[in-house]
Amino acid sequence: MRVPLRWLAEWIALPDEAELLARLTQGGLEVEEVLRVGPDLSGVRVGHVLTCDKHPQADRLSLCRVDLGEAEPASIVCGAPNVAAGQKVAVASPGARLPDGRKLQKAKIRGVTSHGMICSAAELGLAEQADGILVLDAAAPVGAPLDSVLAVGERVVDLTLTPNRGDCASLLGVAREVRAHFGGDIEIPPTEAPEQGPSAAADLRVEIADPAGCRRYVARLVRGVRIGPSPGWLQQRLEAAGMRPVDVVVDVTNLVMLEFGQPLHAFDAGTLRGGVVRVRRALPGEKLTTLDGETRTLEPDDLLIADAERAIALAGVMGGAETQVTERTRDVLLESAHFDATRVRRTARRLGLHSEASYRFERQIDAAGVRRACDRAARLLSELTDASVTPGVLEATGDEADAEPVIALDPERVNRLLGTALSRAEIAALLARVEVRVADALASPLRCRVPSWRNDLRHAEDLVEEVARIHGFDEIPATLPRQRLAPVVVARSRRVSEAARDALAAAGLFECMTLPFARPADLDRMGLTADDVRRRLVRLQNPLTEDEGALRTFLLPSLLDVIQANRARQVERIRIFEVGRTFHPRAEGELPDERLALAAAITQGGERLWDMRAPVFFELKGALEQVLEAVGVTAEFVPGGGEPFWHPTSSAHIDVAGRPVGTLGELHPEVAVRFEIDVPCALLSLDLDELAAAKAAAHRFEEPSRQPQVRRDLAVLLPRDAAAGRVLHAIRSTAGPHLVEAAVFDHYEGPGIPEGRVSVAFRLVFQRPDRTLTDAEVTRASERVVAMLADRFRGELRHGGGVAGG
Amino acid sequence: MSAEQQSLDGLEEEARRALAEVTTLPALADVRARFLGKKSALSGVLRGIGRLEGADRARVGEQANLVKERIEALVSARRDELGRGERERALSETRLDVTLPGLRAPRGGLHPITRIERDVVAFFTGLGFGVEEGPEVETQWHNFEALNMPPDHPARDMQATFFVDGGHVLRTHTSPVQIRTMSGRTPPFRFIAPGRVYRCDRSPRHSPMFHQVECFMVDENVSFADLKGILYAFQRHMMGADVELRFRSSYFPFTEPSAELDYRCLICRGAGCATCSQSGWIEAGGCGMIHPVVLEHCGIDPERWQGFAFGMTLDRAAMLRWGIPNIHLLFDGDVRVLEQI
Ligand SMILES: [Zn+2]
Repeated sequence: MRVPLRWLAEWIALPDEAELLARLTQGGLEVEEVLRVGPDLSGVRVGHVLTCDKHPQADRLSLCRVDLGEAEPASIVCGAPNVAAGQKVAVASPGARLPDGRKLQKAKIRGVTSHGMICSAAELGLAEQADGILVLDAAAPVGAPLDSVLAVGERVVDLTLTPNRGDCASLLGVAREVRAHFGGDIEIPPTEAPEQGPSAAADLRVEIADPAGCRRYVARLVRGVRIGPSPGWLQQRLEAAGMRPVDVVVDVTNLVMLEFGQPLHAFDAGTLRGGVVRVRRALPGEKLTTLDGETRTLEPDDLLIADAERAIALAGVMGGAETQVTERTRDVLLESAHFDATRVRRTARRLGLHSEASYRFERQIDAAGVRRACDRAARLLSELTDASVTPGVLEATGDEADAEPVIALDPERVNRLLGTALSRAEIAALLARVEVRVADALASPLRCRVPSWRNDLRHAEDLVEEVARIHGFDEIPATLPRQRLAPVVVARSRRVSEAARDALAAAGLFECMTLPFARPADLDRMGLTADDVRRRLVRLQNPLTEDEGALRTFLLPSLLDVIQANRARQVERIRIFEVGRTFHPRAEGELPDERLALAAAITQGGERLWDMRAPVFFELKGALEQVLEAVGVTAEFVPGGGEPFWHPTSSAHIDVAGRPVGTLGELHPEVAVRFEIDVPCALLSLDLDELAAAKAAAHRFEEPSRQPQVRRDLAVLLPRDAAAGRVLHAIRSTAGPHLVEAAVFDHYEGPGIPEGRVSVAFRLVFQRPDRTLTDAEVTRASERVVAMLADRFRGELRHGGGVAGG
Repeated sequence: MSAEQQSLDGLEEEARRALAEVTTLPALADVRARFLGKKSALSGVLRGIGRLEGADRARVGEQANLVKERIEALVSARRDELGRGERERALSETRLDVTLPGLRAPRGGLHPITRIERDVVAFFTGLGFGVEEGPEVETQWHNFEALNMPPDHPARDMQATFFVDGGHVLRTHTSPVQIRTMSGRTPPFRFIAPGRVYRCDRSPRHSPMFHQVECFMVDENVSFADLKGILYAFQRHMMGADVELRFRSSYFPFTEPSAELDYRCLICRGAGCATCSQSGWIEAGGCGMIHPVVLEHCGIDPERWQGFAFGMTLDRAAMLRWGIPNIHLLFDGDVRVLEQI
């Protein structure tokens, strides 16, 4: 709602602008911005002409010394005949910009330098033409900005209205708010229409055939309207309020809508058939060509205005083309009505026809103001076009609602909700400022009568809000609540996802967040088979773009996009992860299954700290191991990720206690090409809900042994496909109770190693808690391991088969 | 003087000379072996003692051990000398360019929104608020109707909504978690609900996905004054300083009374700057007393119970804390952005 401040000031006396805007905002009418409408005269100041002499070189020019409130008067050359010493004038100094866009500069005029210009009304954009300079009031303060002493332009406040305050979509409504905050009297413009000629009822009647859709319908016939542009003051008002002037009839209806918040419609009375205007439901298949030239097929829920033969307007939404006012119109029927908010809203939404009128109807208008607005418009038309207002008001009523409902309000409840200690009288006084009348401030509960325009006040709590709003939220004390203690329980899935985030960040990965939308094409690019369950998508009905038509079923495509985008930005080394939900359809009508997923990726390249030769896969696996450790579970990595997007022989699935929780692997080179990723990378996909469901291993403390350790290193030739992880697992279960540590410390294939074999070096550490191990004990354990390796893995010791000690 | 006596006398002198010539630790070991090893003359003498008679045996034995001790002492002294020399050489030979950059483990980090969320969660769990989550795809009942927004309510226009299959929506706010948490439970309670929310809107200032935290508390006497007290403490926690707050009357269908919370812009201290769009205030969230209709929808008697709800956007808080100018930078995974957090 755009409110020109000078217009508002005609309704009610305004306080200081800054205070006004602050109170309106805090009271719930948020000031979005303050606009300037009209010429910008910010560089023009008030000057006092000290002396005025003839220009030495030119008879028709004057040389003036003008006081602008600065240390030295400015010398200015002026060509206007009416300039004289002692005048207060408007001076544009060098650097100032005039409304026509001209920027003023110091100029030499006939050999004399002029430091600025004394302006005429035309030069200031205040008049079409002018005979001489603009002479200001003698009391204007020297040096003051011109727009502070002259009503130039208009300051317009743009208010954002919340949906409950449709009553403020008018000058009257905003004036009432000003009164609520600052007091004062509202001056309502005259509405009585001077009536002439025969009664309208002789020719026309109005009817409501859909009483639920229309509470009141009022019409006035205005005869002899001369259609043409409206006067300048009216056009300027509309423009300041953000509306486009059209012709005098449309402009008058818009002006009255801005004044009172009541939308009006004007029919060309000469086009109406059958002497009746009726409010009714649309008939099945009924059509109406609206003002915009579109022919619309109507639905029975649509509220229509019709004459005896046909639809003539969509109530509250848009008029019909056949009955609109044109240049040939002589007689105008002005309609003012209260239409049902929901019905107007549905029709406007379905047809995409949102207008200033539908905006107000949707938020409910003041049922008691319908007649007044119609009178006001008729009066203005008679004033501006010499038309005559036909005596009598055509009027029909539908279902009447209680115009001024009474709400019972318990003062105790006010104080209990707000935490205040207001007396009954204080509450009644606060409510009176928004014209909610309390008949008896001593009665309990208070019986509060709500004014007709406040359709948003229906419950006791609504009145509590009015009390808080007018009293001021800042006046409410700030206290801390008292409540019984209760333990805080955080779900395990949340603790697991937080632990995973921390572990990955500690492992050197950055968390990213991406939008949860899925591109169906990504499913193909990932190589998913036709029956892959991840192709079953939850689809959006109104996506922003085609690429965002569904919700994702796994996170990896988003992460690949992120890698690609970072590579395109020449980021060399990418270590990222994301935690987010994935969405999986369930039975019809049910909400989708949402699972918390984690994905991570590390790309090869850039500087890395540890072993440069090891594939990046192991860096990612190490990060995952840190996650698992943080969550407190142990996992088994089974070769073969079993996913079309993984490198088939460089991927694994992850089992925790026999349940699959995810997969990791190097990206399949074909998939990399499809996602335009030019660098090897390893990725990880984890189901955090599944991980959270796994039981954390019990942690048991073991006192460190004081006995010496004995170390044995075994270098073993193994077949290439013997999984080192499994071998290690077998070693742990074979080496006996005194093995305290087993690790791989070298892994090598290449020159010196037979074809098809790989050299893996294991370090075994033995220790007893109670006494020093004997050489024989360690040797027996090592030999058991060697025998097992030979037996189960076809492993043979290198270097002649010795068992190295240390 | 016996032959043994003679050779013993000479040995010490011989060892002294040999040790003087030695310059390295391995050479020292060789010399030690020569004079004290199993094959040395001294070992020969000691081995031969057994064959000597009474008085000779005692005398030679005593002398041989004396010589052995002296040579050991000489070797040990020489070893100390050589060791010191080698350590000194090593000191002068090794040198680090300490101005080379340190080798660091790769640094990772949490997303700014995660960090802000944790700050919020830490504050409220510290006051005993539980943490709840709800589905991101919601029923219209939970997202709208239960929150006092019936199907044709104009407030639905305020929240551009994504609709999904089956008539459900991507939740437009975290408020439906209120409904899920309160339904079927008996007050008193206090919870927060952080999570992702969605609006069908992409513009320079809006992302279709963003993050909110909902905070609510219900008891017999929890008042708007209590809400103010909590919010003052909360803003102090988030800003690390006392901040001036402003409560602006507003409208949310699910609270009555409703207010927007603003805090005084910390950059311009209220004078107006680009961060606060020249207003001097920054929006911190919406709040109010839970509407009785909402309590009724959850099966809670609004005559007995009352409470407050507060909701804030995390994304904006993160942007302000780290000076991130554009919300879309939060969601495009640019490593160069994430590294700066
Ligand atoms: Zn600021």
